[in-house]
Amino acid sequence: MPIAFEKVNFKYAPNTPFAYEALKNIDLAFEMGKVTAIIGPTGSGKSTLVQHLNALLLPSEGTVLVLDRTITNKHKPKELKSLRQRVGLVFQFPEYQLFEETILKDIMFGPLNFKVPEAQAKVLAMNALKLVGLDESFAEKSPLDISGGQKRRVAIAGILAINPDVLVLDEPTAGLDPQGSKAMMELFLRLNKENGKTILIVTHDMEHVINYCDNVVVMKDGEVINHQRVTDYFERKTQVEDIQMNLPQLLMFKEALLDGGFEFKQPMRYLEDLAEAISKEIKR
Amino acid sequence: MNNIALGRYIPLNTFTHKLDPRFKILGMLILMVSVFFPSGFIGYGVIAAFVFIALLFTKISLKMILKSMKPMIFMLSFLFVINSLVIRTGYVLFNIYGFTLYSDAVFQTLYIMVRLTLMIIITTLLTVSTKPMDLTLGIEDLLSPFKRIGLPSHEIAMMISIALRFIPTLIDETNRIMKAQASRGVDLKEGSFKEKIMAILSLIVPLFVSSFQRAEELADAMEARGYVVAQHRTRYKQLKPTYRDTVMMGGVLSLLGVIIWLSL
Ligand SMILES: Nc1ncnc2c1ncn2[C@@H]1O[C@H](COP(=O)(O)OP(=O)(O)O)[C@@H](O)[C@H]1O
Ligand SMILES: [Mg+2]
Repeated sequence: MPIAFEKVNFKYAPNTPFAYEALKNIDLAFEMGKVTAIIGPTGSGKSTLVQHLNALLLPSEGTVLVLDRTITNKHKPKELKSLRQRVGLVFQFPEYQLFEETILKDIMFGPLNFKVPEAQAKVLAMNALKLVGLDESFAEKSPLDISGGQKRRVAIAGILAINPDVLVLDEPTAGLDPQGSKAMMELFLRLNKENGKTILIVTHDMEHVINYCDNVVVMKDGEVINHQRVTDYFERKTQVEDIQMNLPQLLMFKEALLDGGFEFKQPMRYLEDLAEAISKEIKR
Repeated sequence: MNNIALGRYIPLNTFTHKLDPRFKILGMLILMVSVFFPSGFIGYGVIAAFVFIALLFTKISLKMILKSMKPMIFMLSFLFVINSLVIRTGYVLFNIYGFTLYSDAVFQTLYIMVRLTLMIIITTLLTVSTKPMDLTLGIEDLLSPFKRIGLPSHEIAMMISIALRFIPTLIDETNRIMKAQASRGVDLKEGSFKEKIMAILSLIVPLFVSSFQRAEELADAMEARGYVVAQHRTRYKQLKPTYRDTVMMGGVLSLLGVIIWLSL
């Protein structure tokens, strides 16, 4: 079952002086069961794109296919709830959506809305709490009394507890400390590898793209300008520079070595690849 | 949510946009006053014509205004029902199953509708054509004579401008939280009463929390940049009336004259 955009246009505030075309002619099919990064400059339409995936926004023109649903402007799909249960969307800065008295209750809010029985919701919530790396002592605390990074984890746990098949995350690590964001990315990778979840991540961090993602979708000015395997994408340095981003450090280092007279032919992705290639070169 | 776009500043370069905000506010007040005169249907016809011309000068389409007034239909129908039950004067329009509709019920409702519509269009004219910042500068200047009797006109203007500045932010924030909670299965349209209460709570609590947080941050940021309450401040932007303001005030005052004459 696919997740695909077919000739999708999207306009904010149509028919007003503020009308703004945020998505232009998007044709895109995400690979199921993989981790896909969505990158691009600020304002390129990434957040707009992902909000189509659980029908928070409807395309102005074109069709969005999500699992067994067809979403177009004309017929608003019925029973959005069951779609939203299967496609979990974590917004940018989700910590602002916490509201319950206790963290446990806040995480249970999602499952309860989807009519999961209370006892089971509690189990799901405790599991989600553990997944995001918070221990049981947090369960009874107020979600307003914890640090920003912890709030973010609670908010993500709130979506994980719903147990969606597809997890969409809009800049989940923005503003987190390096350890925190690494732990977060590893969690998403684990959910993909162990639980087979399809993961879509909007990110600005090229290190995350090269380390954790299978595919990459590049957006610019409301258009998808590239959709490739991550390994292929980084093969051509100009593609990255086109969107004013830096190569991941590993590849910058490789570039520097190439400039310095090293000769590498094989593509590289992880530190081990580079180490191996260097040792081969030195022995040669 | 789109209705709130009514009255939002639209950056254009029309006659109305170029007016001095102080005179624009005065002009609006005079128009409001003339709406309240009992000048009969001819009077309202004159005001409506004037307002329509003003709309042309501001390049706002009537369609946009009418569209944004849809929510009022409910209120007006409610009013009509009440009026037709309560008002028993005028001549009888018709009589079915013992229920009599009197002409005054219809006229009263029409009267209120016309007044409300005119008031809304008049305020919209002002806010659509004036940057919030200019609006508050205008208010501050107009209030400054009252400083002598201890009215903190600058502080009032500052409060208004901050409030105005944060309306769009709050709308965006509300939209965002609504979407985020919708992703967690909140459905404002369906569900039991208890679920609806929870849905509203899930929106209100985060809004309050973030508003207080914002207020605190803003206060800190202002203090950090040396803002002191009740300090005398100079201004970067100076307001200067032009011939346009004379034209506009002339028009508005003659209208007021006509309306007073009509209602004598
Ligand atoms: N609610 C909205 N109303 C009007 N324009 C919007 C709204 N949200 C976003 N936009 C505009 O759409 C464009 C794309 O925004 P967004 O999808 O948030 O970009 P990104 O997530 O890539 O930074 C931006 O230019 C932004 O100003
Ligand atoms: Mg974004």
